[in-house]
Amino acid sequence: MAECGEIGMMLGAFEDSELEPNEMQEVAFHLARCESCTGILADYSTLGRDLRSITAEPSLAGFSSAVIARVDRLPQPVLTRIARYLRRQADSVGSGFAWGGAAAAIAVLTIILMTPYAEQFANRGPHSTTSIAGHEAATAVNQVAEATASEPTMADNDSHADISRLESENHSVAVWSEPRRDTTVIWLPDQP
Amino acid sequence: MTLRPGSLTFLIIAIAAFGTPGLAHAQAGPKRVTVYIDSVMAADTNEGTDPRLAPMGKKLQGLFGFSTYSLIGHNEGQTDCGKMIAFTLPGGKILHVQPRAIDGDMIAMEIVLFDGTRPMMTTDLKLKNNGTLIVGGPRYEQGMMIISIGASTGGSHPMRAQVGAPAQANTR
Ligand SMILES: [Zn+2]
Repeated sequence: MAECGEIGMMLGAFEDSELEPNEMQEVAFHLARCESCTGILADYSTLGRDLRSITAEPSLAGFSSAVIARVDRLPQPVLTRIARYLRRQADSVGSGFAWGGAAAAIAVLTIILMTPYAEQFANRGPHSTTSIAGHEAATAVNQVAEATASEPTMADNDSHADISRLESENHSVAVWSEPRRDTTVIWLPDQP
Repeated sequence: MTLRPGSLTFLIIAIAAFGTPGLAHAQAGPKRVTVYIDSVMAADTNEGTDPRLAPMGKKLQGLFGFSTYSLIGHNEGQTDCGKMIAFTLPGGKILHVQPRAIDGDMIAMEIVLFDGTRPMMTTDLKLKNNGTLIVGGPRYEQGMMIISIGASTGGSHPMRAQVGAPAQANTR
């Protein structure tokens, strides 16, 4: 078991989700068994929450649609425009039809052009056997109201779980993925 | 040939590109999901790994550093997409699992863990077919509780604990 002094130095970064996955795991593992460090982390959480509550956050309403609208107005290569047009058409065409393989080659090309599809293909590749990459773990150190994340996923698609929402009253939830073990872990240490 | 939006050529390309994978999804097979729950007590009491936990014990040893892993409960149940299944776990925990959809090799679901009547955690996720989500941390007796949640569109799960008749679940 790691020493409290060693863990204590990582608690601030743990609270801010800035540790490497193996460090997140080490801290979560220690916290699960150390009331003293759990207490210190709870103090960090309270401090962080209080600090956040006194700063005014700028409104982001309409921000993403404004960005997308500007991107749409940029001059685009013809293939990109075709791909974008098809994506919009596909939404309205529905998913139930298949007209055989008449344009199979074009379909393949289109699939490759389409980022989500391309990502799916990429993700079917062999999983890395090296240690977990930094972006595959994240921590939600949040209250219920602010923990809802609809857009970003917390675990990478390489892992076996793709978390789109995580709510907990617990202030120190740790999430990490172990692709080699086909496992995603959500760690909810008991509050002191 | 001009590729004008709205032209027939465009429509054919669109349908060929998106209709085929769409059909594959529509035919994606069973909407029935089997959920496997293993509740494990992990502690530092040097008692080793419960043999009933094979093959999950090895995985737990690799994930955490405890010296004791003991299976304290196994539940499994089948449910359909859209239908919640509830499991009563040791330590007064209750787990609700609601598969939402099967999307290729992924099972979309909502999971809510209660401590008694108090929700401890709510999550929406897509779990790979036969993949495992581990929820751990709550104290349990002299250690802590680790809940392994597996979901499968088939009839078995590679990480299922080796136990006899599992505890019942309630579908709603
Ligand atoms: Zn400590």
